[in-house]
Amino acid sequence: MKRTHIAIIIFIAIAIGAIMVTINDASTYVGFDQAEENMGTKYTVIGYLDKDASMDYNARANRFTFTAIDKEGKKQKVFYNQPKPQDFERSEEITMKGFATDSAFVAEEILMKCPSKYNEQNEMAGYETY
Amino acid sequence: MEYIGEHLLPGEIGRFSVSLAFGAAIVAFIAYYLNSKTEDKRYHKIARSAFLAHAAGVIGIVLSLFYLLLSHYFEYDYVWKHSSLDLEQRFVFSAFWEGQEGSFILWLFWHAILGLILMFTAKKWENHSMMVFSAVQAFLASMVLGIFPFGLKVGSSPFILMRETADNIGLPWTQVADYLDRFPAFMDGSGLNPLLQNYWMTIHPPTLFLGFASTLVPFAFAIAALLKGDLKSWVKPALPWAFFSVGILGLGILMGGAWAYEALSFGGFWAWDPVENSSLVPWIVMVGAAHLLLIYRNKKTGLRAAVFMSILSFILILYSTFLTRSGVLGDSSVHAFVDLGLSGQLLIYLLFFTVIALGLLIWRYRQFPSEANGDDLSSREFWMFIGSLILLISSFQIIFSTSIPVINKLIGPDGFISLLSDEMAPPLDAIKHYNSWQLPFSIVTALLIAIGQYLRYGKTKAKSFWKSISLSLAISLVITGLFAQLYSFWSDPLYLALLLTGIFAAVSNLWFWIVIGKRKWSFAGSSVAHFGFALILVGALISNGRQDVISHSKVNLGDGLPANENALMDLGDTIEMGRYQAVFEGMDTIRDKQFYEVSYFNSIGDAEPEFSLKPFLQMSEQMGPTPNPDTKHFWDRDIYTHVTYSSYLEPVSPDGFVNEAEVKLNKGDTAIYRNHFVILDSLSVNALFDEETQELKAAKLTSHLRVVNVLGEEFPITPAYIIENEMKDHRDTILDVQRMKFRFDDVELETKKIVLKAWTEQEEGVKPFIVQKAIIFPMINILWIGCILMVIGSFIAVWQRILKS
Repeated sequence: MKRTHIAIIIFIAIAIGAIMVTINDASTYVGFDQAEENMGTKYTVIGYLDKDASMDYNARANRFTFTAIDKEGKKQKVFYNQPKPQDFERSEEITMKGFATDSAFVAEEILMKCPSKYNEQNEMAGYETY
Repeated sequence: MEYIGEHLLPGEIGRFSVSLAFGAAIVAFIAYYLNSKTEDKRYHKIARSAFLAHAAGVIGIVLSLFYLLLSHYFEYDYVWKHSSLDLEQRFVFSAFWEGQEGSFILWLFWHAILGLILMFTAKKWENHSMMVFSAVQAFLASMVLGIFPFGLKVGSSPFILMRETADNIGLPWTQVADYLDRFPAFMDGSGLNPLLQNYWMTIHPPTLFLGFASTLVPFAFAIAALLKGDLKSWVKPALPWAFFSVGILGLGILMGGAWAYEALSFGGFWAWDPVENSSLVPWIVMVGAAHLLLIYRNKKTGLRAAVFMSILSFILILYSTFLTRSGVLGDSSVHAFVDLGLSGQLLIYLLFFTVIALGLLIWRYRQFPSEANGDDLSSREFWMFIGSLILLISSFQIIFSTSIPVINKLIGPDGFISLLSDEMAPPLDAIKHYNSWQLPFSIVTALLIAIGQYLRYGKTKAKSFWKSISLSLAISLVITGLFAQLYSFWSDPLYLALLLTGIFAAVSNLWFWIVIGKRKWSFAGSSVAHFGFALILVGALISNGRQDVISHSKVNLGDGLPANENALMDLGDTIEMGRYQAVFEGMDTIRDKQFYEVSYFNSIGDAEPEFSLKPFLQMSEQMGPTPNPDTKHFWDRDIYTHVTYSSYLEPVSPDGFVNEAEVKLNKGDTAIYRNHFVILDSLSVNALFDEETQELKAAKLTSHLRVVNVLGEEFPITPAYIIENEMKDHRDTILDVQRMKFRFDDVELETKKIVLKAWTEQEEGVKPFIVQKAIIFPMINILWIGCILMVIGSFIAVWQRILKS
């Protein structure tokens, strides 16, 4: 057997290793309940903003507080140690990476899905006329 | 119906050009195919003319779109979406390729240019390689066709009018003949995203897309070789193109990193974002391909691997295109394109070339010439081969992790075959995940770069190898010791290993060129490129691995919870930031930018600051306030700062009430505002009708609310909402003790809820403040110098290959 073949086999082994580790590293999307079972462990939660609850940005503490509802319908207070993201009210879906604590879910990173503004402006252009 | 004021001709020309480009590409493909079968000169003539016509079509598309943008014809959807009247002329390029359609056209344009060059220089390879080019161009042109045969959407045209878009068809205003004059919405476009209004947006996309386009040339040569069965002689003409691709695609990617660092607030030059990854991976594979081609050229070994990698690089470009444009990344990336509904078409494009390329490779696999053994442990080709394998595996790891959303689509709970019970989410700490793999790969790569130059093709004598390399190794050890001491790397074995191998790679390549290569230009290409790449590794390691956040919040969430990496700075107060005493001096508004001046003093009491920075917030209706960093460059470190929030952003009402909050309430609902419960008990209505016509003249809606403080004390309030002659008015309630104001702002008819707004009174004498993040990146200049040298080195290599052939 040639050395190059041995090398290739070793590299295929590394590739399989990479796949296994990635699957291990990959988090799963969970609800707030599951995050609360392991407080302090990081999870990714997908939910949406509870528009009926108040939200508040305290600039002095640089903490943004809001309430989110996860896919199982559970409401949870969320802390985010950043200014309020732009257009937060209009978001359809919020992806929160963070961990649960006694008092709230602490989000370290937030991604939002927003409806396109462009469409909305167009609709307005359409309605104004009649 | 005749519409008034529309400019239809340039759009017609544009659409015709798209059809011409699409049709001519197909004709060129067929003619080149027939020519390859029959060797009939007439087909060759037709094929060339068809490709020329195709190129003319592409130019026509480009010119028409520029014309529309420059003339501000806002009846066109693309013009309306991506430009506006006040857009400066120099940003017209940015507007051109801001959208998906425009960037497809840019890609199409570069392919056409490269295709023309290839057509006149490829000689015996023209037939087959141009066949590949024509097929690719037909697919790409179809992406901007914008037609709907049999109810299927094929492409998305930039020449479509606003009233013809799927969103607008059937809306009442499309039936108004003079809609352009009548409605203000059409007088001006929605404008270019202000984040993109800078020179990076002018130079980065064309460079990157030229890089994407350049990977097609080695691919076309490889496919041509497989088609013809002439598996050897394509390597020579393909080589300079492969190095051109390495240089230009590398430049495009690095420009993206520099842009992110200079003008965006991601906090660094690389974040392992899926969009960044998907252009990096084809580049890594192209580097591997170029090296394999070199091995074959010099030692006639490893041909199959060379073909495979050359093909793979372009396939990965197609895969990246699919990832970033199909909307599949949605949840996981900050800056993927929006979905245009082309994912099916993109998938066909990807699968078509993947299946054909791999099919051809398998079909010809047994016909590859038998090769001499290239696996002597002291030979250069063996270690170059290993290096290429490492590049392949490193790119595989990146693309696999990036593809998690695709894996969900395939085998997730809602996928084609549901193997997984839960959806996989991308790794929580993406940077750590990628670094844990890429760091070891980089260490080995750097080591191979260090020794590679000193190995000969065939066999290397141990004595001469050690003799020539030992001095570089000694010098590297000294420099590594110095840096390790300066930036305390001793406790981190993996970092230390990369530092050593990176410096070793840099020193040995420099040494090789100066001492062994006698500073001859003919050796410079690879030495300079490798030297540059080694500097990139070292620079990235030190600047990222030893970055230091010097802004810290004094507020902690609690024990063991991470402190905030943003510092609050009151106007005029001095706070400590690393070794500096920093003072927020004030805010200046220039056009749509708020500049925040922060001075950095060496010690308290200094009259003059060491330096001042002015990070700004770009205000725009589209994006809101967007932070833009300002960086102080020293030769050995950068101080990178951006403002994440400022008191100037807080909505201030003229009556001195701030902290606006809004809540929607039903009868009986409770909201919490500033440690108070707010309960809606009931609503009462007073209506006033016109005595004669019995029409509603005015109505007053009064809300009866209770505000309850932490002690349980209740304060009844009755803010009211008035409609009179179709005008809205409010009767607000102010609670003096709590210093709060409440407004019954609106009624939501669908949910029958009331919209309540609340403010608190601004405390007197409150100073303006900013929230700022500041990071020190040590030795980041090594990274930038490395980037420039690597690109220069690649182009020297191209130039030398062209001179040799």
